[in-house]
Amino acid sequence: MLQAAITGILPMTGHASSAEDRRLAAACAAGDTKIFEELYRRFGDRMKSIAWNHLSSAADAEDAVQETFLKIHRAASTYSGEAAFSTWAFRILVNTCYDTLRRRRRRIEEAPIEEHETIERTAPNVDDTKRITLRKLLDELPEQRRTVFSLFEIEGLSHAEIAEILGISEGNSKWILFSTKKELQEKWKRTRS
Amino acid sequence: MNISCEAFDDLLFDASPLSMRTAEEHAAQCAPCAEKLESWKEISDVAKSLHTTWESDMLWPRIERALAAERRRSPLRGLTRIAAAALLTVGLGGTVWFAVREQVRDARFDEKIMRVSALDEVEKAERDHVRAIAKLEKLADAKIEESQSPLMVSYKEKLMLLDDAIAECQANIDRNRQNAHLREQLLAMYSDKQQTLRDVLREDTNVSNQ
Repeated sequence: MLQAAITGILPMTGHASSAEDRRLAAACAAGDTKIFEELYRRFGDRMKSIAWNHLSSAADAEDAVQETFLKIHRAASTYSGEAAFSTWAFRILVNTCYDTLRRRRRRIEEAPIEEHETIERTAPNVDDTKRITLRKLLDELPEQRRTVFSLFEIEGLSHAEIAEILGISEGNSKWILFSTKKELQEKWKRTRS
Repeated sequence: MNISCEAFDDLLFDASPLSMRTAEEHAAQCAPCAEKLESWKEISDVAKSLHTTWESDMLWPRIERALAAERRRSPLRGLTRIAAAALLTVGLGGTVWFAVREQVRDARFDEKIMRVSALDEVEKAERDHVRAIAKLEKLADAKIEESQSPLMVSYKEKLMLLDDAIAECQANIDRNRQNAHLREQLLAMYSDKQQTLRDVLREDTNVSNQ
């Protein structure tokens, strides 16, 4: 019964904020574990993937997801409903990833990042060489471009959602994606030739 | 729909189903654009494969423990915040009190300076009166002593009364130099005495002329 109620009030991304979103935020602010567990079940995988595509490290990605849940708990009372709750949570996650990247950049010596041994791909038949090439190209991108590309092309979020997450306009998100893909295309051709 | 190669990028930018279909139609007849479209789609296809999942049985229990710890810390954090707010209030209050006190002290100092300055001016005016009176007395004294006219006798009495009043006022002022009322009285007496002495001299001149 409770499970059904929780599932009922958890909207997918892309929805405008609603009374349910505000109730969800209130439950998170109160520290309702069941709500957090459901959030994790619904968005945990996507959150891990977003974090992994920013941080290229499974351990750092998990830390970022955990930190995001704590931040949601701390800040849920300030949720104003200007975006869907899930979009708001992704915004916190992306900012947490940026913080991790900045902290990492400050380190003088960085240990090489190893991929998680049991990482699974949604499309395992795609050529690994191509994947590694694209990953390297993504690593070279500035933060915002990388985020827009990852959220749209990898995670399948809409420009409206990306605009909410990054605090930019929808048109800007579209333009950033286009110019990023053009840039990647040039480099892609060079690496393939 | 026939489009030029220059418009091809616009279709990719728009990326709507209709634009992509139009781009494909154009690419079917244009080798360079076909190559462009192929790599464009290839990047998207490879990107989709970068969606990454992995089993992490320990992550949720970790998050749950962290949330529980966070909830336990919350009341303490609340108390810490209240204490910090109280400390900040006391600190700010102290600073404001100190600033106001300094301001009041400055104002008092300024007031004192102004008073001292005003007192100097009054005393200077008094000295000027005394000097002027001394000069007039030199001229008038002999005439007052010589003349026995009722008017001169009356002037003499008035001058004696004024001298007594001035002496008394001066004695009071010596006890309280800042008393503005006494100073005002004294200046008025000096003016009156000066005027009386001038009247004496003028009267004497009138009498002489007659």
